[in-house]
Amino acid sequence: MTQTDMLSSDQEDLRMLRESARTLFERAGGSGRSRKLRDADGGWDADMIRELAEAGVFGVTVPEDNGGLGMGLAAGGVIAEEVGRVIAPEPVVVTVGLSLGLLRRLCPDHAKMEQLVGGTTVLAVAWQERGPNGGPAEATCRYADGKLTGSKAWVVGAVGADGFLVVADSDAGPVLVLAEAKASGLSLEKSPQADGSAMGELSFSGTPAEQLADGAAVQDALADAVSDATALAAAELVGLSDRAFEITLDYIKTREQFDKPIGSFQVIQHRAVDLHVMREVAQAGVREALAQMDSEADPKIRARLASRAKARAVRAAKKITRDSIQLHGAVGYTDEFDIGLYLNRALVLSAWLGDDAYHRRMWFDAREEEGAAQ
Amino acid sequence: MTDWNAMSDAEFRKEVRGFFEAEYPEELRHLPHRPKFAEIEHWHVKLHAKGWVAPAWPAEFGGMGLNAAKLLIFYEEQQRWGVNRGRDMGIQMVGPLIIKFGTQEQKDYWLPRILSCEDIWCQGYSEPGAGSDLANLRTRADIEGDEFVINGQKIWTTMAHDATHIFMLVRTDPDAPKKQQGISFLLAPMDQPGVEVRTITTLSGETEFCEVFFDNARTPKANLVGELNKGWTMAKALLSFERIFIGSPSLAQNALGQLESFARGRGAFDDPVFRDRFAQAALDVEDHAALYGRFADQLKRGETLGADVSMLKIWVTECFQRITELMIEAAGPDGGTIGPLQVGNVNVDVLASFYKARPTTIYGGSNEIQRNILSKAVLGLPG
Ligand SMILES: Cc1cc2nc3c(=O)[nH]c(=O)nc-3n(C[C@H](O)[C@H](O)[C@H](O)COP(=O)(O)OP(=O)(O)OC[C@H]3O[C@@H](n4cnc5c(N)ncnc54)[C@H](O)[C@@H]3O)c2cc1C
Repeated sequence: MTQTDMLSSDQEDLRMLRESARTLFERAGGSGRSRKLRDADGGWDADMIRELAEAGVFGVTVPEDNGGLGMGLAAGGVIAEEVGRVIAPEPVVVTVGLSLGLLRRLCPDHAKMEQLVGGTTVLAVAWQERGPNGGPAEATCRYADGKLTGSKAWVVGAVGADGFLVVADSDAGPVLVLAEAKASGLSLEKSPQADGSAMGELSFSGTPAEQLADGAAVQDALADAVSDATALAAAELVGLSDRAFEITLDYIKTREQFDKPIGSFQVIQHRAVDLHVMREVAQAGVREALAQMDSEADPKIRARLASRAKARAVRAAKKITRDSIQLHGAVGYTDEFDIGLYLNRALVLSAWLGDDAYHRRMWFDAREEEGAAQ
Repeated sequence: MTDWNAMSDAEFRKEVRGFFEAEYPEELRHLPHRPKFAEIEHWHVKLHAKGWVAPAWPAEFGGMGLNAAKLLIFYEEQQRWGVNRGRDMGIQMVGPLIIKFGTQEQKDYWLPRILSCEDIWCQGYSEPGAGSDLANLRTRADIEGDEFVINGQKIWTTMAHDATHIFMLVRTDPDAPKKQQGISFLLAPMDQPGVEVRTITTLSGETEFCEVFFDNARTPKANLVGELNKGWTMAKALLSFERIFIGSPSLAQNALGQLESFARGRGAFDDPVFRDRFAQAALDVEDHAALYGRFADQLKRGETLGADVSMLKIWVTECFQRITELMIEAAGPDGGTIGPLQVGNVNVDVLASFYKARPTTIYGGSNEIQRNILSKAVLGLPG
């Protein structure tokens, strides 16, 4: 029996998905395309969004009945890894994890579902708020009489989005509302990011918005969608780390000093091995966490698994991208070499949705809580 | 004869677990030191009667004949229950070598004696000048009549003071063009005038390994295993399964369990810095287990493992060390205290765990050597 015969059909599906996503990104120009977009205006490419949609990317975790592929988070992770490998700026994790993560749980029949899956619209999700000391604070944004008032921070994918899914408070409790990007009374302030993208700070003053859902279900769906997005961001970092290491390995094999490739020096070799091991552990751990999330319904356990994934992925990506700069020498410190693009994207993805220290805390607390409950 | 491989993994695991839990002597669980044979003989007798002494050997030689998947389960259960591996150098190293390269007479004579522990073996590879660079070994064996005459010294020979026989790599052709050539694999009795054993006290105060001196010691020519001067390649051939076993998560998992109950008892989790480091160690173990699973699946599919498997050993041994270092931190002012420390109703021997973790990065191919291997064989780095 050959190896492929022995692989389960699930694994075979994932392998094919990985191959088609990789081909799609490579044909579009790989990391070179991402650099061009960054140099243009830091946005994304609308044609690419449509191509990704045609390949089923956005609907990967959406049930087949709602027009998706129904393949689960592990498959979403496969795509996110490929996004990470070419540091593509398209908001794949935002769409799959957050906007569709919310809509498929709260209002699967809403017209926006089809548009998101079909790549004809992009929505960013706004739920966190900034407090007076600059850090995250209690949410105070209000929704009343069909209008939003307040502000939201750290909105990824805000620039270029057609609208915003906003979590706000109302007299009836938490609500999820949809505000169009062009709605009146909405202003968007861009906060430039290391990778050339921009995060959005939104403020609403009587901005008209459509209510999509209300009640405790909103908070539950938000928590679950954030877990999904966290895990997918971890997968994106795994793909990013994988490619960053490949670039570095190629470099140390070809760069010569003292009449030899620098990769023949033992200290360089051992550092390279450590990065390799880090990458393999991260890939195995993150993939396992995502697969376990697919077979887990308890939102707290899913959150713990997502924290495990993000804690690992951030730690690996930080180490790999930073050591990669060192192993490149001065060219690593230039904008011209691709390795820097990977470092910069890793910075942004690490800070988004919590870094490794944050997620170790979350993971530890969740584990304690589970232990106490037993 | 039971065909264990025909069982489902779950059934087999249950069978193995059931036997260990019912039969393994409680006082021998998680032994902190390497036992002499007399200390574990009563367990060995049970294991022998059950026919479970040699899980990896083919059934025709008295083994269990387990395939790789079942073997992993066997070892996982063994470690989970804290079952001592016993004096298994004969089982793990000599037996497989004789089975693969030995003559019929050698098989008939030695294998039953290994199984019954009538002969207890120690491994004589390392020498003062031949550690990581093992091929540099100089202990000589010269043919005189129908005997080999052995002169030289072995060192770090684990439990040589409690062994009846030694299997060794010796130089039989000093003029071979490469140092890996001219090495042979030889069996020799310890109880003879030309062999002197001196114990070496370890950091933890145990006598676990020895120096062995050979001064015109003798062994029959019939005790050469395989071809003369072909010992190096034979010894290498043994390593393949060993490489995943040495990278299995269980040592680190057990230590983590100890760390957790100890730290909880001591209130170390009140400190957020400690919590973070514990979380990091626990996640290191969890994610290592995921990677280990990937290699184990490869074995289960019948594939052979490549040099890449070395990364398991690197990661898990260093992780094991960090965990035991955290135990010492959690012990605070007791961090230098010998013997079990009482916390609540559990005893944790913090120093014993710490010491046990130290040599794991040295033996079985030091972690630096493993990094050399990975860098060349896996990453394809030059030089
Ligand atoms: C507890 C214990 C039990 C043992 N039991 C046995 C036994 O039963 N039988 C037996 O034969 N042997 C045994 N050994 C010996 C073991 O195999 C050797 O310790 C091991 O091969 C390393 O050799 P060494 O100690 O001479 O260290 P060395 O080879 O001198 O190494 C010293 C340091 O230098 C590093 N180093 C060496 N070469 C390189 C290189 N090329 N690149 C980078 N770094 C390098 C090593 O990693 C190490 O950190 C045992 C050792 C221990 C600790």
